Amino acid sequence: MKQFRLIVSGLIMASLLLGACQPEVVEVIKEVPVEKIVEVEKIVEVDSNAQSLDADPDKNPVTLKFLALSDDDQLNAWREQLAEFQKIDGGKWSYVDLEFETIPFRELFPKIEASVAAGLPWDLYQADGPDMKHYGFNRVIFDMNDLFTAEEKAQWFPQSVEEGSFRGRLLGPPILQSCSLMMYNKDMTDAAGINPPAALADSWTMDEAMDAWVKTTLDNDGDGVPDQWGVRWGQGTWTGDYEAGIFRRSNGVKGSDTWKGMGDDGVTFRGFVDSDESVEAHQFYQDMHQKQKVTPVEAIPEIFESRISAFMITPDNRIGALNRIHGEGNFNWGVTGIPYFKTQVCHTGSWHYGISPNTENLAEAVAFVKYASSDDGARIFYKYVRQLPANIGLFNELPEYAEGGSQRLWLDAMNDFGIPRIGTPGYTEYQQMMSEALQNIQAGGDIPEILGATAGRIEGLVAKYTGWNN
Amino acid sequence: MTTVPISSTDKETSFLARLWSPRNRYYFIAFLFIFPALINFSIFRYLPIFAAARSSLWQYSLLGGYRDFIGLQHYENMMIDPYFWKSMKVTALFVLMKVPIQVVLSLVFAILLQKETKTSAVVRSAIFTPVVTSVVVVSIIWAMMYHSQLGLINSMLSAFGIPRQIFLSDPDRALPAMTAMMVWKDLGFSMIIIMAGLKGIPTVYREAAIVDGAKPWQIMRHITLPLLKRVLMFVVVTQTIFSFQNFVPVYVMTKGGPMDATKVIVYYIYQFGFLFQDMGYASAMSIVTLLILLVVSMIQMRLFRTDVEY
Repeated sequence: MKQFRLIVSGLIMASLLLGACQPEVVEVIKEVPVEKIVEVEKIVEVDSNAQSLDADPDKNPVTLKFLALSDDDQLNAWREQLAEFQKIDGGKWSYVDLEFETIPFRELFPKIEASVAAGLPWDLYQADGPDMKHYGFNRVIFDMNDLFTAEEKAQWFPQSVEEGSFRGRLLGPPILQSCSLMMYNKDMTDAAGINPPAALADSWTMDEAMDAWVKTTLDNDGDGVPDQWGVRWGQGTWTGDYEAGIFRRSNGVKGSDTWKGMGDDGVTFRGFVDSDESVEAHQFYQDMHQKQKVTPVEAIPEIFESRISAFMITPDNRIGALNRIHGEGNFNWGVTGIPYFKTQVCHTGSWHYGISPNTENLAEAVAFVKYASSDDGARIFYKYVRQLPANIGLFNELPEYAEGGSQRLWLDAMNDFGIPRIGTPGYTEYQQMMSEALQNIQAGGDIPEILGATAGRIEGLVAKYTGWNN
Repeated sequence: MTTVPISSTDKETSFLARLWSPRNRYYFIAFLFIFPALINFSIFRYLPIFAAARSSLWQYSLLGGYRDFIGLQHYENMMIDPYFWKSMKVTALFVLMKVPIQVVLSLVFAILLQKETKTSAVVRSAIFTPVVTSVVVVSIIWAMMYHSQLGLINSMLSAFGIPRQIFLSDPDRALPAMTAMMVWKDLGFSMIIIMAGLKGIPTVYREAAIVDGAKPWQIMRHITLPLLKRVLMFVVVTQTIFSFQNFVPVYVMTKGGPMDATKVIVYYIYQFGFLFQDMGYASAMSIVTLLILLVVSMIQMRLFRTDVEY
């Protein structure tokens, strides 16, 4: 035993001594020299005179490794984009291929970070808009600002450019955009005698919406458990900031601390997350689960698609899912404005192309991203995903977004009151903490106490980013 | 008697002979056998521990690399971090619930199923199957079973007229629900080890006790359990360590909620290391957890120490 203690003490002392030594600084960021960027710019310039067969006869095949979400529609879109990409510029990029690794949404962020830190040779990744500032702060993304002209940047929604930028520089162009509204099952609302407003200006307040949700929550067999729920607030089964954050921000007037959601320094949350208005909004959120019971405490997967919920707060990507599950046009859906307290709010949500600083195929990665984010690429992407494109030009050719079109409301909402989620490199810390707070509020916890503690914890976690936007 | 001077060649021969003595040969061969394991342990166990100990003294993140040397600052922060202590409390509760229940059930099943019959073979296999099933798969299935609306367990309760219950979203029930699942998952492993231990006890002791008129309970208390002490020590120590490292069910089923009721220490460490970009603090918590485990294991080994040989 004595020997064992000696060994353990020795090991601890040795580690402390070793720890005090200057460790080798981990070089996770590859600084791309300016000459390289200029070189890439030249390479990716459209060369319409190039011939398909003799453009790059000696090029070895290049496979771009792409870390993306598990989503078949997206993958099919990228495959078709690749096929077209190989044909452009006279087949200049015909030697380029894509290889995907797909993972669920919640694993994407840590996977990107761990991959870059480990120096894995990823070329491309799919980055969520609010995370872009974190990637920029930590320089784990190739800065593409100088590869797009001002004119090219103007082809996307300004919200998308803002979400994809860090300190005024565009890090990655958008893949698509989104804005959540309230979809409903027309058969269920008709049965309840409810006629949701068609115009955004007439959208329901939260209280009006609650009346509709209560009316559409039905317990037909009387077992105490609804067979039909009033509403599912958000996609998937978790409480992400994209939809749940709307509650809080909607209860503040435009420009107020509650509406802003965070201090201008990007690291202050007390007084924003736990304001009286925020507490009031979250009380409503808790009542939905615990008092009126119009939505289940434990989320039911695909509750709206399975016709178990009358309403759902979602972007228009739900339409593609409904068509896939039920067949084109077989689900009788409608859409109305998102309910609000004081201010109508929808969080914009763009996904972005990110190029890893570890890429060994920079020219090919840049060329593919430029094509994929162009109107031609975005057109292919929309064909499969059917979600609000980030390319403004496409709206002229998509009848569903024309005046009176079935998806027009999403475009109007995006333009009228769509705002990006809070912009801070500490978004992941913020979202993780808020998600836990909402889970606790759903479970019946004390709201002021939870929000106060959460605001304090977020500030503690993001203090390391202080001064990031100076 | 004449003295013969020893030449330097003779000295070398004698030194080599001593070096290659049968005793040293024995040690050398033994060392060769454990050498691959030593390499494995050094690279995949000890080096990461040293690296974590070093990282715990620095401001360090996966992406930002090493920044400032801060000495024991992380350890000081840990002392006043209420969530660290809450995670430790949750972990301790989980271990205290799971290990005793699992060991007792394993012992009961091992005794009941040690006889070689067709039925016992089938039941043994059934109990052991969860051990070789992926913990991710098991966690997903149990999360569905526990679901308040769609779950099998609630359907069964409803069939008996019992109202539906919330398990994983109730702060008081989430941890016991997860414990029940993990006991079910790991039961087969400890049962097989204990069963092997039971089979290793010579029957002569039991037969002698029966001849002396001992009752089954007395045989269990005075013969079986004392002779099983070493096996039980192995089961208790390994299960305590495994339970301390519980992560996947929390990640899959509850994400540490509700109200942090299932936020075990390894999940808390994961959050800081991979989501909050503070690998230094995560490393410090890992080192403290390691030391706690060392102390707990030492106490358990002392408690289960036995002088009985057979």
